[in-house]
Amino acid sequence: MAPDDPTADDSAGSSDRRTAIGPVLAPATDTTTTATRRTLLSRTGAISGALATGLAGCLGLGGGGDDEEQDGDYGGRQPTVTVEDPPNAVFLPTHREAMRVGEPVTAGEFRFVPMLSYPHPFWTIAGSDDAAVERETPDVGRGVHMMITVQDRETGLVVPVDEGIQFRIRSDGERVGSPVSPWAMLSQEMGFHFGDNVGLPGDGTYEVEVTIPPLSVRRTGVLAGRGEERATGTFEFEYDDEFRDQVIDGIDYLERDRWGERGALEPMGAGADGSDGSDSGGSDADGNAGHGEMDHAHVPYATVPAVDAYAGTRLVGDASSGGASSAGADGEETAAAELPRSDDAPIVAVLFETDADADESDLARLAGDENRTQNPEQYLLVSPRTPYNRVPLPDAALTASIERDGELVAEHELEQTLDSEYGHHYGVVVSGTGSDTSDSESSSAIRSGDSVIVSVDSPPQVARHQGYETAFLEMEAVTFEVPDGAEGGDTGN
Amino acid sequence: MTLPDRSALSRRAYVRALVAVGGGAALSACLDVTRDGDDADPVPAGTDDPDSLPARQHAWNEFSARDEDGNVQLPEHHALVPLSLASDAAGDAEGNNGDDGTTAPSEDDRQTTETALRTLERAYEWSHEGLVFTLGYTPAYFDRFEGSLPDSVDLPAPEALTAREDPAFDEFDALLHLASDRPDVVLAAEEGLFGDRNELNGIDLETDLTGVFDRHDDRRRTGFVGAGLPASKTDVPGVPESVPEDAPFLMGFRSGFARTQASEDRVTIDAGPFAGGTTQHVSSMDIQLDVWFGQDNHHQRVSKLFSPTHAADELVGEVGDELADTSGVTDDGIASAEAAAREHGVVGHAQKASRAREDGNPPLLRRDFSTVDGDRPGQHFLALQRGIGEFVRVREAMTGADLDVSSANNGILHYLFVNRRGNYLLPPRSLRALPPTAPNS
Repeated sequence: MAPDDPTADDSAGSSDRRTAIGPVLAPATDTTTTATRRTLLSRTGAISGALATGLAGCLGLGGGGDDEEQDGDYGGRQPTVTVEDPPNAVFLPTHREAMRVGEPVTAGEFRFVPMLSYPHPFWTIAGSDDAAVERETPDVGRGVHMMITVQDRETGLVVPVDEGIQFRIRSDGERVGSPVSPWAMLSQEMGFHFGDNVGLPGDGTYEVEVTIPPLSVRRTGVLAGRGEERATGTFEFEYDDEFRDQVIDGIDYLERDRWGERGALEPMGAGADGSDGSDSGGSDADGNAGHGEMDHAHVPYATVPAVDAYAGTRLVGDASSGGASSAGADGEETAAAELPRSDDAPIVAVLFETDADADESDLARLAGDENRTQNPEQYLLVSPRTPYNRVPLPDAALTASIERDGELVAEHELEQTLDSEYGHHYGVVVSGTGSDTSDSESSSAIRSGDSVIVSVDSPPQVARHQGYETAFLEMEAVTFEVPDGAEGGDTGN
Repeated sequence: MTLPDRSALSRRAYVRALVAVGGGAALSACLDVTRDGDDADPVPAGTDDPDSLPARQHAWNEFSARDEDGNVQLPEHHALVPLSLASDAAGDAEGNNGDDGTTAPSEDDRQTTETALRTLERAYEWSHEGLVFTLGYTPAYFDRFEGSLPDSVDLPAPEALTAREDPAFDEFDALLHLASDRPDVVLAAEEGLFGDRNELNGIDLETDLTGVFDRHDDRRRTGFVGAGLPASKTDVPGVPESVPEDAPFLMGFRSGFARTQASEDRVTIDAGPFAGGTTQHVSSMDIQLDVWFGQDNHHQRVSKLFSPTHAADELVGEVGDELADTSGVTDDGIASAEAAAREHGVVGHAQKASRAREDGNPPLLRRDFSTVDGDRPGQHFLALQRGIGEFVRVREAMTGADLDVSSANNGILHYLFVNRRGNYLLPPRSLRALPPTAPNS
């Protein structure tokens, strides 16, 4: 192919490093798994004119200033705001995103929901120190923030781990740009999803092929053996003024004095059923009730179970160790308030044992077929999650150290696991006839009175949307005590 | 083919674009522009004495430039020319037909091929300033013969090597790899073998390969490697301005350190009729380069390409300039790939790959290069090894599926998208012209 000057027809995009393919656009052909643009819904949370005007002045909205080309297709209307001196904790961002939500697309044993917004900032993570965090500031004035949430079709469980999903974008049969490996991301409104800013050459209809590789994460219950095949599905979308107006006009700013306040936006779609009890306890106060207007209920949102939803013995942590919690009025908030936190992440630790009838089936399932021959007697489940919204915190490395009378008796590297009942967690088979390698036959099992210290070797390696970028990074170890009579699932909360 | 617009491109970008386009018109344009410039020096002539040339086709190191740290520098410009036996070229006197109905090449075809390749060697010095080349053959080529390759040749059909990829395979017959520091030489050599030229560097062409091979223009691949070349490609969409000025590869760092490369001896087949040959794996991939430079910082890039320790201790420098002749992956670093996954949440690509060393010796001789074929950033990963099984083993180590780390932080997997894979036998020079499965038998 001749390298005809690719930028010649596109002076407006000269500042856009991804611009310049310039295929002729025509309606893409539908496939059975293609969601058409007509089925894309909008979110119409309104922003008051007065607020918008006020913000534009102090935030530089529309203030691309001297170089109009910098404004790109969105006319510089994208929020460029940052929260000054955010707390080292989960905090309220400046605004709610607006987006188009596509129809669910079937891909093998999976289903995914595509979502599109304007290119916006996020933070990538590769490690745990300051240098390992980088803010991505989109310089694409032309393009989208492209997201999907992936579910197992049978269980509905949202796949919350980074397995190497790929996007390939086409327009009129021609490839557009390089393939894209979307980041695993956490957002307060969307929970765990995959997304990235993607530059586009211009207005038109685009087709996106999504490739979901085989899952490599440990899976238990009915998830075991599922997701073993690479799967693909396709959606298409229209990129035009209507889209841009929709995702810009739908931006919903919080009142300024709330930016950076500790708390979190409610999950998208939370308004559809009134409340799921995980509201931040604050977001309603800005008086915006935009959610009821839109049907986002079909956007799957990854949550882990409430703290009292686990059978098994809940280990008791020191809630004061992790800083202030945000107690709410309902039971979950109260129970969650008892959880120890590490860099603002509440951590649940539950022990499942053979001698507790209620745990028996959970233990067998969680221990998995691979450990069956070892006659597993105990399984330790550890579930770090976001405060407020109970989104799992994946792709971290956790170790559990067992101490008895001040002596270290065992150390276990926990393995990231997806369970069909309890979802995402980190776990380990603690004892069994086959795994007992210590000299004292009883010493490896966890007993009442033991301390279980959960240390975070590396924090969740997941990119963050605004409000999560300062939390879950420098995560201190948390200590749990195994309560007396550590059998039975009823801890009486 | 349309030639690139000279007025819109820098000289280097223009020459690169001409190599990518190929063909006689591109060569003429290339000669025009290089004669104007500092490449106007004559190309050193080759030799009339084939016996003076090395017995191995892949004997390039001795004839290549070295950097100040002693690392071999690959020639700057490359073309990979895919070939199939021409339909009317086949059929030898014995009617030697393979199982699949394709016909084995004739003695005349062999003679023609050898003559044409010797002409290249007469025209150009066997060096980076002249021309080095190899002609390799796929498993599909050997399928046409009765009998299979000897056990001393480990050449399976290519296959997908990671769970996330779905590559196409090189199932044509042969691949001609042309390399030179002179872009006009790469173009002229290909034109001499397949085009309209009557002479190369003052040597008359007695014959060409058009009667023996057909080229697959749609699979033709080109590329470049060398400090400054990637930074001259920012005219291409997806190649960001932030590619470092001195980077030899598009991903912005040096590679091919002497101590991370196998020797030519190490990769040479040491027994059987193809002793003196080697095997070659070629995979072609896209790179999500704008994300690599635009969304990761240098610390993150060094963590992912080398190791988190390289990043924390600032061992690499901007483009690998601090590393001298080694990737700096120490035995400790190798041992700690698993530990790095847990403690840092990141594992370096070099850290993973070096797990495949044997007694500290790397089994692969990489001769990969960057590309903007199709006007997209990419890499043609070309590696030589004694047997393809060694490549597969290193690839498994590089993939690191055993490591407990997120995909985005598992080396550079997040940024690469493998589109094609091919396996080749590079026979010794004496057997480079259309070898049968059992030569000398």
